[in-house]
Amino acid sequence: MKKHVILFGYGKFGVNVADTIHAHGAEVLLVESDRKRYKQAVEHGFEECRLMDVTRDEELETLPVKPEDQLVCVMDDDHLNVFLVLSLRALFPDNTILAISDSIHATRKLKMAGADKVIDLYAVSANRIHNILNKPVATRFLEGFVDHTHEYSFREIEIPEGSFLHGRKLEEIDFHRYGIIFVGMIDVELGNSFIFVTTGLEHKLDSGDIIVCIGHDEDLERFAEAIRQKEEPKA
Amino acid sequence: MTQAEKESLDHIILRVARRLDQSPRYKTFKAKVRDLLNNPENPYKKYFDITIIFLIISSVFILIYEVKHPIPYWMEFYDIYIVSLVFLIEYLLRLWTYSDLSSEIIREYDEAVFVGREFSIWPALARGLRRKLRYMVTPAAIIDMLAIFPAYRPLRVLRIFILFRFLKLLRYTRSINQFVDVLANKRFELLTLLFLLVFVVFTGGIAIYVLEETHNPRINSLFDSLYWSLVTISTVGYGDISPVTHGGRIISMLIIVFGIAMISFATSVIVSAFSEKLDELKEERVVEEVNKSKEFLIICGYGQMTKMFFRQAEAKQYNYIILDKDPARVAEAIHDGYDAIVDDASRYTTLSRFNTEGARVTVLCMSHDDVENIYITLNAKSINPRIRVIARASSQAIVSKYQRAGADHILLPHEAASTMMSVAILRPTMYKAIHAIFTGQNVALLDEVKVYEHSILNGRRVKEIDFRAYKLLLIGVQKADGDRFVFNPDGEMLLEKGDILLVMGHKMSIAYFRESSCGVKGGCLR
Repeated sequence: MKKHVILFGYGKFGVNVADTIHAHGAEVLLVESDRKRYKQAVEHGFEECRLMDVTRDEELETLPVKPEDQLVCVMDDDHLNVFLVLSLRALFPDNTILAISDSIHATRKLKMAGADKVIDLYAVSANRIHNILNKPVATRFLEGFVDHTHEYSFREIEIPEGSFLHGRKLEEIDFHRYGIIFVGMIDVELGNSFIFVTTGLEHKLDSGDIIVCIGHDEDLERFAEAIRQKEEPKA
Repeated sequence: MTQAEKESLDHIILRVARRLDQSPRYKTFKAKVRDLLNNPENPYKKYFDITIIFLIISSVFILIYEVKHPIPYWMEFYDIYIVSLVFLIEYLLRLWTYSDLSSEIIREYDEAVFVGREFSIWPALARGLRRKLRYMVTPAAIIDMLAIFPAYRPLRVLRIFILFRFLKLLRYTRSINQFVDVLANKRFELLTLLFLLVFVVFTGGIAIYVLEETHNPRINSLFDSLYWSLVTISTVGYGDISPVTHGGRIISMLIIVFGIAMISFATSVIVSAFSEKLDELKEERVVEEVNKSKEFLIICGYGQMTKMFFRQAEAKQYNYIILDKDPARVAEAIHDGYDAIVDDASRYTTLSRFNTEGARVTVLCMSHDDVENIYITLNAKSINPRIRVIARASSQAIVSKYQRAGADHILLPHEAASTMMSVAILRPTMYKAIHAIFTGQNVALLDEVKVYEHSILNGRRVKEIDFRAYKLLLIGVQKADGDRFVFNPDGEMLLEKGDILLVMGHKMSIAYFRESSCGVKGGCLR
């Protein structure tokens, strides 16, 4: 299932975000109010770009927003960003709205305006500094997830129909032989919340469950392939 | 003294000087004594100071006690001989270590030989002694000397000099030293004032003496009238002597008016001197305070990033100091309740004030200006490569410059936020997980457990430790040798001292694991 993203702003954040999510196969619709940036976006090869005045509701209404689309506000101007979130929330009450904030004051305003998730530039970096100071090893490890080198990743894997995992208990399964670590599961019934294995998870696996693992990309790939089988392959 | 005798005396002194100058033992001994007397960092100075302070206080106590009670002989002996002897030795040591007489003589001799002039010991000796004399007239040295005097018994009045021993305490109280420093800065104004005071006291005193000596039964000498003049001018006015003639009253009225003007002037001079110096003194205190800690942060720049850094809960545990060039920002930081001083971190003198050798120092370059951040990074690394630098960079393009400057960690705020945003869009679950792990609010805290020498983990294999029972997940091990990280380690891996285990789990589970892994010796808790 492809992700549909409507990205507002192609400025200092927008360029990065657009490139990354496009590279990961998401469908991006770019909206920009600045003519120069709009041209830039077109030059960079984004096919779906719109130039519009984002302060006007009638123009926003023309956007082809589907209920599962994510609306991402990364305009350079903080004030415009807040205003945009407010307008979008009123127009599309059921969509997920994400916003970036590059000042302490804007974060709260964005939340109040109705953004579901606000990423605070300074909070992210300040957190990083705390982590470097307190947990250097953990930080280096976690950075491996997010930065472009992708040493390790988190992967959500759905247990396919007819997998050997179906009906097995968690502690019976040796994840170690695949070189991966089982971290937890996603509970679909509890609104997609994440349950860590360390909370004392006792569960019988069923097809359709989503398990979350950490490991090298190729090991995860191998594991995802392996669980399609009816019988667990011998080591 | 014949010419030959004089010559030989010169050469004896020269020989002694040379031997002293070349003896490493003499030199190190002298350096040690100097260090003990003057260097506040010296570990033994504390004991030396406490001894001297005890001697001073006991001596003053005896002085007070003596007024009403007969004192036993041993007390008197102690007061007069022991205390004075210690003070005498201290005084001589200070005088001795203040300057090098022997090297002065050697230099003079070398110069004389070099230019072919006839060598004479006296100019060098005189120069050396003059330097010693210069020390002897400093206020601290005068007080030290006066504190020795009470040992001379025939003059009872010298007993009052014991109070000078009290003044010796000044050496040991920094605030009074600073007070003196502040006043010394206003030397010109204060001296002018003093001169004026003496002039007016004398004029007024002589005037009253001339006008009233015959009429006023209380004024019997010039000393009485000078005393009256000073009491009046200071607006104290005891009233034991008061003018009786019209002329005398006019004089006192003039003196009173002048006195009020002068007191307000003196007060304002001192107050302004203090308000000028106060910020500087406060800054010194802050720097000193942070220098005492074993590990601290020097945060350069008080902007949004620094504010956010302090808003987060972890910030409470650090010792830190904020430096900023802009006084307005420093004022803001102080207003927000943080220790900040106005200083330019890109200057050598600024960073070298900190205890970079004895403490683990981390410099955070938080400015949004790359040029400034790189400059600070270079500055810190040039002072001491051990200083850890965490710098903020504006874009990926400039990262290589930071690396070349020696920054240990480089932050890219925009990139980091964009990456987070991309993760949030593409993989909301992972975003949640990482967010939880990073912030540690949730059950899945990622933390490090170090293997200490006496830890029960030391020398064990990974499979021998039941992480499941601890409700923990072992993610990886950072090996002490070679600084390599092993993800998802094999059960056979041997844990050694210095390894760091990366575990994930509830905060309480991690704390329990850390505690129970500590072994019998304990004491390895962070």
